Amino acid sequence: MRLDDDLHFALRALTGHRARTWLTLLAMGLGTATVILLSALGEGARIYVSNEFTQLGTHLLIVLPGRNETTGGPPPLLGETPRDLTLDDAIALTRSRLVEQIAPIAVGSAPVSHGNREREVTILGSTAEFQPIRSIELAQGRFLPPGDLARGRPVAVLGETLAQELFANRTALGQWVRIGDRRFRVIGLLSSTGVSLGTDLGDLAIIPVASAQALFNSPALFRILVQARGRGALAPAEEAIREILRERHEGEDDVTIITQDAMLATFDKILNALTLAVSGIAAISLIVAGVLIMNVMLVAVSQRSAEIGLLKALGAARRQIIGLFLTEALLLASAGTVGGLLSAYAGVSLFNAQIDAFQLVVPLWAPLAAVSVSLATGLFFGLLPALRASRLDPVAALAGR
Amino acid sequence: MLTRDYARYTLAAVRAHRARSLLTVTGIAIGIAAVVLLTAIGEGIHRFVLAEFTQFGTNLIAITPGKTSTLGMSGAVISNVRPLSLDDARALRRVNQIQAVVPMVQGNAPVEGNSRSRRTMVLGVGADVPQVWQMRPAIGRFLPADATAGARAFAVLGSKLKSELFANASPLGARVRIGGEPYRVIGVMESKGQMLGFDLDDSVFIPVDRALAMFNRDSLMEIDLLYAAEADSEALAERVRALLERRHGGVDFTITTQDQMLEVAGSVLDVLTLAVAALGGISLAVGGIGILTIMTIAVRERRGEIGLLRALGAAKRQILVLFLGEAVALALLGGLAGLAVGAGGAWLIGVLVPALPTHTAWDFALAAEVSAALIGLAAGVLPAMQAAGLDPISALRDE
Repeated sequence: MRLDDDLHFALRALTGHRARTWLTLLAMGLGTATVILLSALGEGARIYVSNEFTQLGTHLLIVLPGRNETTGGPPPLLGETPRDLTLDDAIALTRSRLVEQIAPIAVGSAPVSHGNREREVTILGSTAEFQPIRSIELAQGRFLPPGDLARGRPVAVLGETLAQELFANRTALGQWVRIGDRRFRVIGLLSSTGVSLGTDLGDLAIIPVASAQALFNSPALFRILVQARGRGALAPAEEAIREILRERHEGEDDVTIITQDAMLATFDKILNALTLAVSGIAAISLIVAGVLIMNVMLVAVSQRSAEIGLLKALGAARRQIIGLFLTEALLLASAGTVGGLLSAYAGVSLFNAQIDAFQLVVPLWAPLAAVSVSLATGLFFGLLPALRASRLDPVAALAGR
Repeated sequence: MLTRDYARYTLAAVRAHRARSLLTVTGIAIGIAAVVLLTAIGEGIHRFVLAEFTQFGTNLIAITPGKTSTLGMSGAVISNVRPLSLDDARALRRVNQIQAVVPMVQGNAPVEGNSRSRRTMVLGVGADVPQVWQMRPAIGRFLPADATAGARAFAVLGSKLKSELFANASPLGARVRIGGEPYRVIGVMESKGQMLGFDLDDSVFIPVDRALAMFNRDSLMEIDLLYAAEADSEALAERVRALLERRHGGVDFTITTQDQMLEVAGSVLDVLTLAVAALGGISLAVGGIGILTIMTIAVRERRGEIGLLRALGAAKRQILVLFLGEAVALALLGGLAGLAVGAGGAWLIGVLVPALPTHTAWDFALAAEVSAALIGLAAGVLPAMQAAGLDPISALRDE
């Protein structure tokens, strides 16, 4: 028997029982489609997050005060240290050739008021360089002016929500607001870029870092953002920063430096694991579909025992019978998988056409894994019925018993 | 036809094709087992997180400076213009039904002792920590009651920090330098393990007013209140709010009761469990298609039998009920098997991998059973209608 005879026979058998063939295909297709769609969702989320990180600015190093010597422990994201990271430390960092620009950040919260309206918001003290480093867009006016870091000018840039709350629909530019016990002139409004990695850029005020330090009466910086000169300079820049700060801190290594890549890698790992877990759960449905294939094939074998008997009487070897039924099972599995793949890809492109903010991306491994898993299930679950068919006694089978 | 007859006929039909019924049941069982097992893991994690939250006691209210924005913490924890002061903490102690108060400031500093050094978490706290956070010193004692004013330079080590610095030697009475200042060790805490990423064992406790001086700040990061078990947390939070508002002249702080914290954590985890259950439900749907397929085949095979029943005077409705019953019986059997496998698997995981908490969520299990029956019903409708709609004469002739 040749291969195309084999295929022909199996196809005829399948088209002979349309209802059950369609249902089996549906089950297989449903399983494949969910695996692909869920993995596309996970991959889409991963790409979305990594885009968010690139938005954060490229070649970025974040210096925070304090260091934990716990292996694998989290860095001290929040908390005080006996030796603060100061503005002078930040200025000293610019002396390194590897550092393109820096943005010191002081954070606190204070009431911002205009007229009789008041709102308690996060106050971010920074410098003109904060804008290019975090790629912040302005809706109106300008950002903090460049100049001497240590001089605190009474100017402020407001987030959109804050401006709306204080000024309603009147123009905010050029107005005076009171932050804590000081007065600041509004020189710019942030555009509503929304939430950037946990910080709501709508509900804050940005003032010069020296003003913030005076406002909160504390010389401590919360973070220093450092932009390195190019990607290759990241590692040497980290080393240089550590060296400079160690010198300034009496030989003590008391800062934590986080690179953007390290953060991104962590997120990547988490999201990849999640995607795999979710796709794995969905793949259980492929096994259920495999059980269904086995069931249908068993029914087919018992219904077609006379036919098998005839084949055997005509001299078909056991191997040939096994081949016939395995081909049928594999055909069912692969056709279902192809249908599932097609509908999954159609669903993904439909989703992407409708929604711009979030794109689904089918990872390369997903269709490969789905196809190999479903073919394996087809083979595995087709084997038992095929073996049963091959073991039929030709005389008894022909007699229809 | 009696109900008993229906049951007997259905079961006989299921039994007649053993292999086929077994496989159909297996399909549904895998789906149900997946749902039960996944929700068991979800529920286990839920309970684990709740336990993490409540290991510091249940009757807690936390006060943080500034109004917390929707996303995480506000900048006020770091610095603000109207600090949450030690005087506030002292005033709160006098509120009716408040049993203990822990002012807290947290930072990072090198701890040197026994000619070793380790940078670690420094917690400036009051004397009531053993009572409020429910953690006791393993040896020695905790900070004395003068921790909030003119405190002596005493320190209590976390268990991990102690073993890093002193190994097996007793550190009691030893001198350590924390952030350059000399302290005397008066106790070692018992091990508490990780709490949501914070390793409280790798830390040192010092009096809060010394910590404020060391970190050169005047605002606490948090005040934790322990209230009497019989008190109403809502009303008490209201009294605390009123007191602080009088002292500060405005609401520039956030009060979080533990009930609220648990509620938020609980609702997030519930959504997760539900999502995971839905994922498992896909397998259930595929299993349903399996029932549909097998029932379609069964109706086709048993045309003669159906014709005979109709010829003997069975109504269309009776045929419908017979085949629906068969589909539901298959689904329910699968459901029961799946429940056994799922719950057993959850138990097995609990025994073999104690780190992964599992707890069979019986409400989800019940929901899975009900949906299995419904799936059986839905899958059975089409074939059953087909069977009921057969023309008895042509059906009999097929025999």
